[in-house]
Amino acid sequence: MSTTAGKDRGTAATVSRGIGTAMLALLRKSWFVIALLLLWWIVTAAGWVDPYKLPSPGDVLGTLGTLFTERALLTDLGATLLRLVEGWAIGVVAGVVLGLATGRSRFLEEGIRPVIAGLQAVPTIAFLPLAILWFGFNGTAVLAIVAFGTFKPMALATYGAMHQISPTLLMAGEALGAKGFFMQRTLIFPAIVPSLVTGLKMGWSFAWRALMAAEIVVTGAAGLGGVLELGREIGAIDVVMAVILVILVVGIVTEQLFFTRLERWVNRRWGLVGAR
Amino acid sequence: MSDQPALRVVDACKTYERSEHAALLPTSFEVARGEFVSLVGPSGCGKSTLLGMIAGLLAPDSGTVEALGKPVTGPGEGRAIVFQDAALFPWLSVFHNVEYGLRAHKVPKAERRERVENALGLVRLDHVADKHPYELSGGMRQRASIARALVMQPEILLMDEPFSALDAQTRTILQDELQRIWIETQPAVVFVTHNLIEAAFLSDTVHLLSSGPGRIVKTYDIDITRPRDEADPALLELRHDMLDRLRAEVDDDVERRAQAAEVSAL
Repeated sequence: MSTTAGKDRGTAATVSRGIGTAMLALLRKSWFVIALLLLWWIVTAAGWVDPYKLPSPGDVLGTLGTLFTERALLTDLGATLLRLVEGWAIGVVAGVVLGLATGRSRFLEEGIRPVIAGLQAVPTIAFLPLAILWFGFNGTAVLAIVAFGTFKPMALATYGAMHQISPTLLMAGEALGAKGFFMQRTLIFPAIVPSLVTGLKMGWSFAWRALMAAEIVVTGAAGLGGVLELGREIGAIDVVMAVILVILVVGIVTEQLFFTRLERWVNRRWGLVGAR
Repeated sequence: MSDQPALRVVDACKTYERSEHAALLPTSFEVARGEFVSLVGPSGCGKSTLLGMIAGLLAPDSGTVEALGKPVTGPGEGRAIVFQDAALFPWLSVFHNVEYGLRAHKVPKAERRERVENALGLVRLDHVADKHPYELSGGMRQRASIARALVMQPEILLMDEPFSALDAQTRTILQDELQRIWIETQPAVVFVTHNLIEAAFLSDTVHLLSSGPGRIVKTYDIDITRPRDEADPALLELRHDMLDRLRAEVDDDVERRAQAAEVSAL
């Protein structure tokens, strides 16, 4: 039962014990990362590899600082994140709408779904030349690619979720007089929300991949991909690694701050945890 | 009010594909307004099929189902359903679950609130109006589900094994509550169950069904005054009688199958 969890909070003793346990848990989860960093440091400090191919952790951190202060990496990061969120949001809305439509209409489903499933088998970045031709060698082409990359898994996830709605729930709604758009808005859509959250996460990771690939090619506008490409051009591998580090941190932060919380909230609200 | 029955089922039958027997042979019965009728029998006897047709969720192969004088073509229109697994909307609070049908019927907000509160009071769930279904016990969920049906002020209440997923104590309590609620609100009820004593306890009329093929084998009229007591000897005797009848059916069925096997072996 879910009633006992979270009751023993509050006293100072339990708080400090809580911190200790938390530290231990953190250590248990991060030992491999620490080992990896240590190995990286040893290998570079001992001079076993050419620093041109693998700079030391310290150098990468230093470069990261320089990038933020001198090359305005924050602007690039901002531009990239803005594009990511915009493209993702467009893709999510379009995907959910089309997914809902294909889930409710046999005609639309039979015609459209196989096409989207087929397109999903093609890496989104393959469409970049087309996007450049249509939208120009600029940020819009990148945005289009990100939106498209999000749209495909989102549409498929929405469609799949609709087929997992409990038939009894639909019957209950129908028997209570729900139909048409009211049914869509108040029953179908809320019923698929937990699956949609999974779709949102997947869409986000697809969006990231498409975005980085596209930015590396379309270097005109500000963006992390452009900095990566610059690093390669001037042979500054520390720049490349610093940017990878930034991407990694952004990934972890969005996962922990946004998606994990969203998922937890939805699972609790939809009764998917605890009492079942 | 007219003498017209709440429900009239005439020669309704159903066969599912890839099935040896008809799920339901042509079956007829009526439910008077305010009458409590149970359909009882083993699994596969067609009782749920029959309820599905009355609910308008299943179409009979032939025959007709009339509710309040009009042929049934779909769900709704004076009929409310309570399902075995409560089927509450998990994302809505108890209050909003009960309110759902009223919203679908565009009932004004003030009236909605009043009717929801009344329904929740009737099933004694006022104190958990703001909770979500996952925070409730199985019995409370089923109460909420009954409130969601009652709030529509149905003339016909359809219940598909509503208590069969509950533990024995909760089940007994809810049977008593249902008796009280029915006495207070007096809808016509079609109650599907495989529990003989439950059917006898609650009903004015019990239709005993048998499987292979599904059909009504006997009808019992129970005129014990309410409120009834589940330990009433008359009820136990009735249960005995129904059980004997069902046993005879099963024996017949076994014999028929054995004969059929012999014939095909020849």
